[in-house]
Amino acid sequence: MSGCLALLQTLKVDWSPSGTCLASASFDATVCIWDNNSEEFESNATLEGHENEVKSVAWSPSGSLIATCGRDKSVWIWEVQEDNEYECASVLHSHSQDVKRVTWHPNKEILASCSYDDTIKFYKEDDDDWSCFDTLEGHEATVWAISFDSTGDKLVSCSDDKTLRIWQCYEPGNEEGVVTHGSDPKWKTVCVLSGYHNRTVYDVHWSSVTDTIATAAGDDCIRIFQQESALANDLSKAIGSVIMLSWDAYVTITSTSFYSLQIAVQPKTSARPCTSLDTDPSVGDRNKPSFQQVAIQTKAHTQDVNGVKWHPKEPGLLASCSDDATIKIWKFTQD
Amino acid sequence: MAAGFSGALQLTDLNDFITPSQECIKPVKVEKKPGELAKIKIEDDGSYVQLSEVGEKTKLERAQITLNDCLACSGCITSAESVLITQQSQEELYKVIANNKKLAEEGKLEDKKVIIVSISPQSRASVAVKFKLGLTETAQKLTKFFKDLGVQHVFDTTFSRDFSLAESQREFVERLKNFQNGEKNAIPMLASACPGWVCYAEKTHGSYILPYISTTKSPQQIMGSLVKNYFATSLAKSPDQIYHVTVMPCYDKKLEASREDFYNDIYRTRDVDCVISTVELEKMFEEKGVNFMELENTELDIQFSSVCGDELLSHSGGGSGGYLEHIFTYAAKECFEKTVSDIKYKTLRNKDFKEVTLQVDGKDELKFAAAYGFRNIQNLVQKIKRGKSPYHFVEVMACPSGCLNGGGQIRPGDGQSSKELISTLDELYNSLRTRNPSENQEVEQLYREWLGGESSEKVMKARYFRLERCCTQATMKWKSFTQPLTLNGDSDEATSEDSAVAAICDEYDDFNFTN
Repeated sequence: MSGCLALLQTLKVDWSPSGTCLASASFDATVCIWDNNSEEFESNATLEGHENEVKSVAWSPSGSLIATCGRDKSVWIWEVQEDNEYECASVLHSHSQDVKRVTWHPNKEILASCSYDDTIKFYKEDDDDWSCFDTLEGHEATVWAISFDSTGDKLVSCSDDKTLRIWQCYEPGNEEGVVTHGSDPKWKTVCVLSGYHNRTVYDVHWSSVTDTIATAAGDDCIRIFQQESALANDLSKAIGSVIMLSWDAYVTITSTSFYSLQIAVQPKTSARPCTSLDTDPSVGDRNKPSFQQVAIQTKAHTQDVNGVKWHPKEPGLLASCSDDATIKIWKFTQD
Repeated sequence: MAAGFSGALQLTDLNDFITPSQECIKPVKVEKKPGELAKIKIEDDGSYVQLSEVGEKTKLERAQITLNDCLACSGCITSAESVLITQQSQEELYKVIANNKKLAEEGKLEDKKVIIVSISPQSRASVAVKFKLGLTETAQKLTKFFKDLGVQHVFDTTFSRDFSLAESQREFVERLKNFQNGEKNAIPMLASACPGWVCYAEKTHGSYILPYISTTKSPQQIMGSLVKNYFATSLAKSPDQIYHVTVMPCYDKKLEASREDFYNDIYRTRDVDCVISTVELEKMFEEKGVNFMELENTELDIQFSSVCGDELLSHSGGGSGGYLEHIFTYAAKECFEKTVSDIKYKTLRNKDFKEVTLQVDGKDELKFAAAYGFRNIQNLVQKIKRGKSPYHFVEVMACPSGCLNGGGQIRPGDGQSSKELISTLDELYNSLRTRNPSENQEVEQLYREWLGGESSEKVMKARYFRLERCCTQATMKWKSFTQPLTLNGDSDEATSEDSAVAAICDEYDDFNFTN
């Protein structure tokens, strides 16, 4: 990328759904939109307005909206206009502390954000402005990241309180009798995964391909979770392993050379039961899923693992990044 | 508390995570003598002294942190809030009233302060809707309420808005002429009545935007000059013998009143001593055990109020003062000899962004906009920065829906949505007969008697200052996180709340914090 000193200060990036634009959130309070219409990536717009560092940026599934959030406690929604124009559609001050992450619902124009104020918030367009319609409380410390499953009916969150929470969406008039407000759905905790992580969980990503959850944590580990029903009946089979691929392997990835380039196969770990205490009593039992840790990669990095992301199409392909200044690509396989 | 301020100000670190329990980090520059290690001792009287090696004592000056320091510093404004709350609350008014009573008992009548309350029409409407009363009745009951408390005069800032509108009209026409003569910064002119917007512009957009902001004072501050200058003189009082309170629809007006510009150095007094928001006024009714509905309807103080007989008057152009409409019709007449009788708004991307255009011979000669709420301010500011703004004048207000929806207005009642409340307020507010500032004889008379027939820089104009982000988080963090950023990435954030404070300290190595 030419002239992209700003990237040195970049905190988060996100591709537009079309894959032609990259948005980068920066320490300098701006968001840059990079376009590769030509051969090289060029910065074609700068979104200014945040007071200080922008923590996260996300394109909506349609590509017509961009959400950003930052240390200034605000969440911004921008409309993508013609001619590389981006207009601010809303500035939301719902959180009381810095906002760590924004994520769009996979198939509705609903935005979720999580914050240092320990909550997760949902937003929708209301009349001609956006507003917060649900606040999810439960985590006891900073919520670092959130990720929807492929249907958008479930959300996983990870936190400084060393737990993961699985949240279920209840539409108005739901069979379980969960109270909703107006036409808005209500989100409830249906599963808490505690006892797995010893340190802060910095990132979580729910694969839309394999329905598998990966976490990145301050104990240098990557962990993989699956819902019990998604596992084979025999629990002994419900064990996977995470294999590291080299960066080169990923870059030169082809369907034939892929598996041969694995570098290390890590020992398997046995699964531990998920603790589902602390879920909402109003939620019916049948909605309380049980999640299992099916793999752990200890010493995945030499320092804190900050981020994990599944490949959008290739099953089991996972990228991680770390304080140790490396990015690693992993392959998760199940026996 | 910060929730009461407009969105624009909330974003400007008004309520940062540096909580009031933490020390203010305003750096105080101290002459450092090299090679000396000082000992600091606290004396019995609480003063700090520095002990030299031979035991000499030097009394240390106390570091003074004023509200203005806090406003200029984007490090922590939370400390400023507590200053604000104590300086500008109904408690202060109660104190002045109590002191007056005490002085009266002691027979020191000449030391008593003349207490004047100026009520904004938006606050009046908010109270009226709350108690389901008419506007005139509400004005009469408010007059009764304050007079019973011990206030001498109750005025209406609609009166001073006449001046503000008239001055804005003239300023615009002059700017337009200058613009046509090549002065680029003259246009667009941006309204200055909203202190949330002005403060945000000063802190965040500095030299880009400030030249465009109208230099005309807001109705609150013109009322301040009128009361402390003209009215004080007519009472044969000095400005500091008057205690001037305003009742306003937003908290940001407290910041406006405490601007250095509006402070009289000689008499050590402000043009507006205390700003009470409408919600705080509602609280006063409770505190004083007053049943507002049952208050007697007293006669209004007509001196600085917009009344015609018993009828209250207002300005056309909506709940935010009507700057757009007044300037538009005036400029159309003055510059293009067009009489505009019906103003047609074109709603753009949302209901808080509207446009008005004057076409002469098929050409857009005047393009005005009303941009309310933070998101529309953002888009406007970015357009101006990139030279893409088509506007000659923009009525900018920090709150969505404008001043009637100010952060200091009375909240919706049970079962009432804020939308319903705003539409009720809007309807009631706009039900009054409107009058053009030029039709107000008293305004003309005051221009003659008080200002010698013309506008006065000192009385009518305000100045704006780019606030240096002396210890902005951007620079501060950049310094402290450069290293960890490449090594640690975002996860270092886990401790950022501590390290941010440490970083500020690092940045100010050359300064001494506590002496």
